[in-house]
Amino acid sequence: MNSFSLISFLNSNLNVGENELASIIENCETKVFKKDQFLLREGEKCRHTFYVERGLLRQYSIDEKGKEHILNFGPENWFITDRASVFFDESSDYFIQAVEDTKVVLINEETIGLLTQKISSFADFNTRLLHNHIRQLQKRVNQLLSVEAEERYLDFVKMYPDILLRVPQTMVASYLGITPESLSRVRKGLADSNFKK
Amino acid sequence: MSKKNVELVASPREPHFVGDGFRVHNFIPYGHRMDMQRMDPFIMLDYNSKFHFAPSEHPRGVGVHPHKGFETVTIAYKGKVAHHDSSGGGGVIGEGDVQWMTAASGILHKEYHEEEWSKEGGDFQMVQLWVNLPAKDKKSDPKYQAIQYADIHRFELEDNKGTVEVIAGEYKGIKGSASTFTPMHLFNAKLKKDAKATFEFPANYNTALLVLEGSAVVNGTEKVPLDHLALMANDGETFEIQATEDAVILILSGEPINEPIAAHGPFVMNTKEELIEAFNDFNNGKFGYLEE
Repeated sequence: MNSFSLISFLNSNLNVGENELASIIENCETKVFKKDQFLLREGEKCRHTFYVERGLLRQYSIDEKGKEHILNFGPENWFITDRASVFFDESSDYFIQAVEDTKVVLINEETIGLLTQKISSFADFNTRLLHNHIRQLQKRVNQLLSVEAEERYLDFVKMYPDILLRVPQTMVASYLGITPESLSRVRKGLADSNFKK
Repeated sequence: MSKKNVELVASPREPHFVGDGFRVHNFIPYGHRMDMQRMDPFIMLDYNSKFHFAPSEHPRGVGVHPHKGFETVTIAYKGKVAHHDSSGGGGVIGEGDVQWMTAASGILHKEYHEEEWSKEGGDFQMVQLWVNLPAKDKKSDPKYQAIQYADIHRFELEDNKGTVEVIAGEYKGIKGSASTFTPMHLFNAKLKKDAKATFEFPANYNTALLVLEGSAVVNGTEKVPLDHLALMANDGETFEIQATEDAVILILSGEPINEPIAAHGPFVMNTKEELIEAFNDFNNGKFGYLEE
């Protein structure tokens, strides 16, 4: 995966000089989280949006029976946060955890405010990211309600082309809302149709 | 013929586990000055230095994973590994055996400590080497060469001073057992204390040697201790190894393929587009299916 620093990621999407961005972004803390370390736990208040420069995060909840449900993966160049907690000051329902050693930029609301204020193209870009996120969530809800596991799997690998190689099958199954056995059946079915001996 | 000098002697890097069955030091591509371009056609070398595994009812190892675009060469020095793949192949790599797997167009496989060996536990020592394929062969069909220890051709040194086992290439008229897509040499030199052996490869061949037992001196002056790797310079053709105690030394030398390399994880292709295609093929089941 290509990984970009937050500054070069924003620079490639906003029509603005690196210096101007750097003066704002340099106030953000950059941290390396070791594999399995938590960035957020259920019950805590989330204070940041996390930008992944290198590595992989997952956002998940744990139900009453102790089962994990993965909402999102956050590979390189993704933003992950709990919006309910960050924007509405609610206690989080989620865990955000490093699946690999992960280098993350911690962006707080003040930084988002400064970017919006000082860089005219940022507000539009941020709105576009938000719409894109909502589009993805809508599709995910709709798929969970109405679409077969195979189609959900195919969409998953389109969005996250290398995650299958980076996480255990159980996590992929958890994201898709199916059992690991069902995931095996889906993958076997695809191999039966597409593998030419 | 001019002398081929030692460019550097690399100490083993901090080990890491591949799955839970292989505790390896990486030399290629993450060792100092040993990236894929420098070591071409050798694109990865993981060395499991001698490590004692306690008995385990559940064989340790690495679960199902793909490979595409290159070959994996597993050399077993201590311990036994069982493997299976998506084309229905499988087998056991025993002590002294070499498995040369051509992943080429794509394969899924898994490798574990052999069940009975795992129950007993013991010392485990292996090398896994990845050999790149030229663009024209990256899409060829996967295949195996399972080379039993007894079938490896040998050159005997004079006065019973040791042997050079020729896995691939040629040493003093003895041809290796493995076939390769591009010219290369892969030997295990087993030298008794004070024994000397000379080697000759074209200057442009990328060459290294890894000391797996004992210790050695190269060209009379450069000490290479146990578990260290000597990278040879591309400045000449011949060099001499002398064992300073009974030694086992893996020697690799290959003609660079000199093509662009686009690599990500278990896929090594020539372009970024081919890498994306490799991910798509893997995700869509085109490498077949293998039970965990």
